[in-house]
Amino acid sequence: MTVEIHARASRCAPPWRGSAVVLTIGLVAWWLLPDQMGLYTRIAYTALFVVSLDLVVGVAGMPTLGHAAMFGLGAYAAGLFALRVHADPTTGLLVGTVAGAAMAAASGAFVLRYRGFTFLMLTIAVAQIAASLLIRGRAWTGGDDGLTGFAPAPLFRLFAFDLEGRTAALYGLGALVIGLYVARRVVDSPFGLAVRGIHENRARMAALGIPVIPRLLAMYALAGGLAGAAGAISAQTNSIVGIDSLSFSWSAEALVMLILGGAGRLHGAIVGAIAFTVLHHTASSINPYHWLFVIGGALMLVVLFPPKRLWIRLRDRFRPFGSGARTSTSEAR
Amino acid sequence: MRVVANVLVDGLAYGMVLFVIAAGLSVTLGLMRFVNLSHGAFAMIGGYGAVVLTRDARCSFWLAMLAASTATGVVGAVLEALVLRHLYRRGELDQVLFTLGLTFFLIATTNALAGPQVQLIELPPRLAQPVDLGFRTLPAQRLLVLACGVVVALATAWVVTRARFGIWLRAAVDHPEMAAALGIPIRLVQNASFAVGAALAGLGGILGAELMPLEPYYALKYLVLVLVVVSVGGMGSLLGSLVASLMLGIVETASKYVASEWGSLFFFLAMALLLAWRPNGLLRPRAAA
Amino acid sequence: MAFNRVRLAVALALACFAAGTSAQAQTIKVGIIGPFSGPFAHYGTLFKNGAEAYIASQGGKLAGKQVELIYRDTGGPNPGQTKTLVQELIVKDKVDYLGGFVFTPNALAVAPLIQQSQTPTVIFNAATSAITEKSDYFVRTSFTLWQVTVPLAQWAAKNKIKKVVTAVSDYGPGIDAEAAWKSEFTKQGGTVVESIRMPMPTTDFAPFVQRVKASGAQAVYAFLPGGPPTLGFVKAYNENGLAKAGIQFLGTGETDEVDLQKFGDAAIGLTTSYHYSGAHDSDANRKFLAALKKKDPKAVGNYAVVGAWDGMYVIQKMIEATGGQKNGSKAIAAVRGLQWESPRGPVRIDPKTRHVVQNVYLRKVEKAGGQLVNKEVQNFGPQTDYGLQK
Repeated sequence: MTVEIHARASRCAPPWRGSAVVLTIGLVAWWLLPDQMGLYTRIAYTALFVVSLDLVVGVAGMPTLGHAAMFGLGAYAAGLFALRVHADPTTGLLVGTVAGAAMAAASGAFVLRYRGFTFLMLTIAVAQIAASLLIRGRAWTGGDDGLTGFAPAPLFRLFAFDLEGRTAALYGLGALVIGLYVARRVVDSPFGLAVRGIHENRARMAALGIPVIPRLLAMYALAGGLAGAAGAISAQTNSIVGIDSLSFSWSAEALVMLILGGAGRLHGAIVGAIAFTVLHHTASSINPYHWLFVIGGALMLVVLFPPKRLWIRLRDRFRPFGSGARTSTSEAR
Repeated sequence: MRVVANVLVDGLAYGMVLFVIAAGLSVTLGLMRFVNLSHGAFAMIGGYGAVVLTRDARCSFWLAMLAASTATGVVGAVLEALVLRHLYRRGELDQVLFTLGLTFFLIATTNALAGPQVQLIELPPRLAQPVDLGFRTLPAQRLLVLACGVVVALATAWVVTRARFGIWLRAAVDHPEMAAALGIPIRLVQNASFAVGAALAGLGGILGAELMPLEPYYALKYLVLVLVVVSVGGMGSLLGSLVASLMLGIVETASKYVASEWGSLFFFLAMALLLAWRPNGLLRPRAAA
Repeated sequence: MAFNRVRLAVALALACFAAGTSAQAQTIKVGIIGPFSGPFAHYGTLFKNGAEAYIASQGGKLAGKQVELIYRDTGGPNPGQTKTLVQELIVKDKVDYLGGFVFTPNALAVAPLIQQSQTPTVIFNAATSAITEKSDYFVRTSFTLWQVTVPLAQWAAKNKIKKVVTAVSDYGPGIDAEAAWKSEFTKQGGTVVESIRMPMPTTDFAPFVQRVKASGAQAVYAFLPGGPPTLGFVKAYNENGLAKAGIQFLGTGETDEVDLQKFGDAAIGLTTSYHYSGAHDSDANRKFLAALKKKDPKAVGNYAVVGAWDGMYVIQKMIEATGGQKNGSKAIAAVRGLQWESPRGPVRIDPKTRHVVQNVYLRKVEKAGGQLVNKEVQNFGPQTDYGLQK
């Protein structure tokens, strides 16, 4: 498991710094690219989803291929809420977050007792079981055809969701910024450090008196909540929820995005999400038949020639007077 | 009663296909601790190889089956020796990423070479006939699958327990350092078992082409099933894989007969329960490293 | 740095200039949405063949205007991605028309977009009745399950088939098919002994076919999405000896021309009810198949290609009516009630439902000239979308 203990300087950075950077770049991009708002919103909720995955995979050290279950549950909850109760987007977002967290807490109570490959397979099972149940409940969820017929009410009762998608994009950006802030606060808190400690050496943490499973469950539930929020945004901005939102391939894609950008540091999740989504979109519109060549080749190259090493080398060049030790644990055997 | 008989016949056939494909992955995971998510691609390569041989080169089905499996084994050996073995030292996530990228690449290659539609292997007329067993008519090809599955199971069991290579294999899985210290050629064992695993996967792809149609996304679509079998059966345990694949094959088939609106719910429920009961696999009482 | 900024400025200026010139070239942009990758990727190729062959047959231009086809890949049923793609097509590429759509969820996802932007959208394939109701800008040139199932149920009842088991894929059109069959068949006095629903991801159909055998019915009415599922089901029907057991196969698009040859002689005699057969005996069909062969000698003509072909005809009429300007309501108004001779037979766009009214034929698979074909043995006459009449 690749873990990088990054330089002390970044850990002392104020928790709002990452969010501020994302907000600035996001606003500039929103201003410059008014034609791409659909893609923009997609990137926003995908990035939030991958950040939530980073909490489980990068911070807690538990690779999962079933994280889409929380995303999907959040999406269906928000969709059903908009359809049957009230179309207010922020309330729906809250509903989605709670649904994702509840799903994570419920499934985590069972699966977190296992580790490694067993845990991975159990998360796949949980997601598939959830998907089967949702398909069965066709009357409520629309089954394989998807949940439709709802549209979000104006945001804060002022900003209607327009055709170009500008409101949706800002909504997604806002959620991403807030989610990133929450994640950063948690990761840098004592709780977050305890979870990192559990990742590195479970036995030692237990010996120190830290209740391992409850800590992991709390982190898992938090990650589930953020994933549910991402799902809620996708439901509201697309006005449709498909069963593909819980699929194995969505979980796998998110994991790929996370590893691509670098797990464990939160901003790697965002970088990976943006890079993968843009790459997929561009390659697919150039040639819809052969975009998989590009993605496959890119992934293999990234593993064989890791950009992290190049990035570290670049960073070292520009910070010759390094602030503090720059240690990176070597790849696990 | 008839339903039970049907479930058994179809379930065992399905389970046998899963076993033949999963056997190689189980060994790779158990022996090299290498997460090879491109294993499904080997099954696909074997299947497509058989298609090309029977359709374009006009080979007989039996010859094509043998040739395509062997070719897949060779491909596996080459891949392992040149590229994959450098990843053994990397973390699991790197292995996942690389093998997924490789899978995507192979899917795209297959799509570019053969097109996106389903490919059918031309069966000899005797195999394409339905066979009347009295209580049930089934395609003769299913009987072939059952027979091959039994042969593969027996052959692997014999190799693992009696042949020297099998002893080396078991030693290397259980205690790699000790095995190396005793002079067992670990690299050879790794490469050979990877190659055999790939060949078996190719064979499984050919046998299962009726149940799991050959199309470019095959490599990814059935990956989950194979992973499930390996995890439930236990990494490195061939007998475990056999039992797991037969059990899960029967559960999946039974649910199709009796409760098809629930989809694969029971399959995954069974899998989750089995894993919860025996996290390290059905037949590996010792804790996995 | 300054040099780079100059370069950037020049590049931007050139880009603006290029964008400006292309805006004056009066090209009609049509976005085609379909799966170009994944297990249903053959649909993408079929749409492409049909659309491009039609434009070529009209001399490269539609109504005197250059037409640019922009293809976007949905991969499969993926409503979120489809919505993003269509949004980009409407906002960034400023398409005048949309075409394509294989899967119901994808079509449903874009309904609010095309309604708001008033973009006429021609559905080349998706077959759930309710789709055209979701927006005033949907026009459909394919078919619906009610449309092709009702006459088949009537025929079955008249031909002494009393007990039927239905086996459909568990999604929108499949459930439509099951409902259509049940409603019409029971009205005609027959009984549906069992209704089997098969999950979409199924690849092994032997268990379902065994259930059909055990149900005691005289015939099985089946519907699955075209491609691997259909191929698998028909093969399972053939290989498990159902025909010999006396259970007749009643289907719709299962014997479509793309996969028909793969079944071999076992498929001879399969009975289906559908709106297009490659063996349809008419000049329009011969012209259509010739144009297709000219584009690609290996191309096969089937319902999806015809859907695209006729879809482009409808778009051509819309371009004519609006003089090449973007005016959604004028375009839709112009095609309500439109009548023409399609390769499938005479067709008409219903002014109220915007769905195609067409002849539905009873076909049996036969061997002709060494190839398997769907021979039309009976013409049920023009059928509307019964699903919308309730």
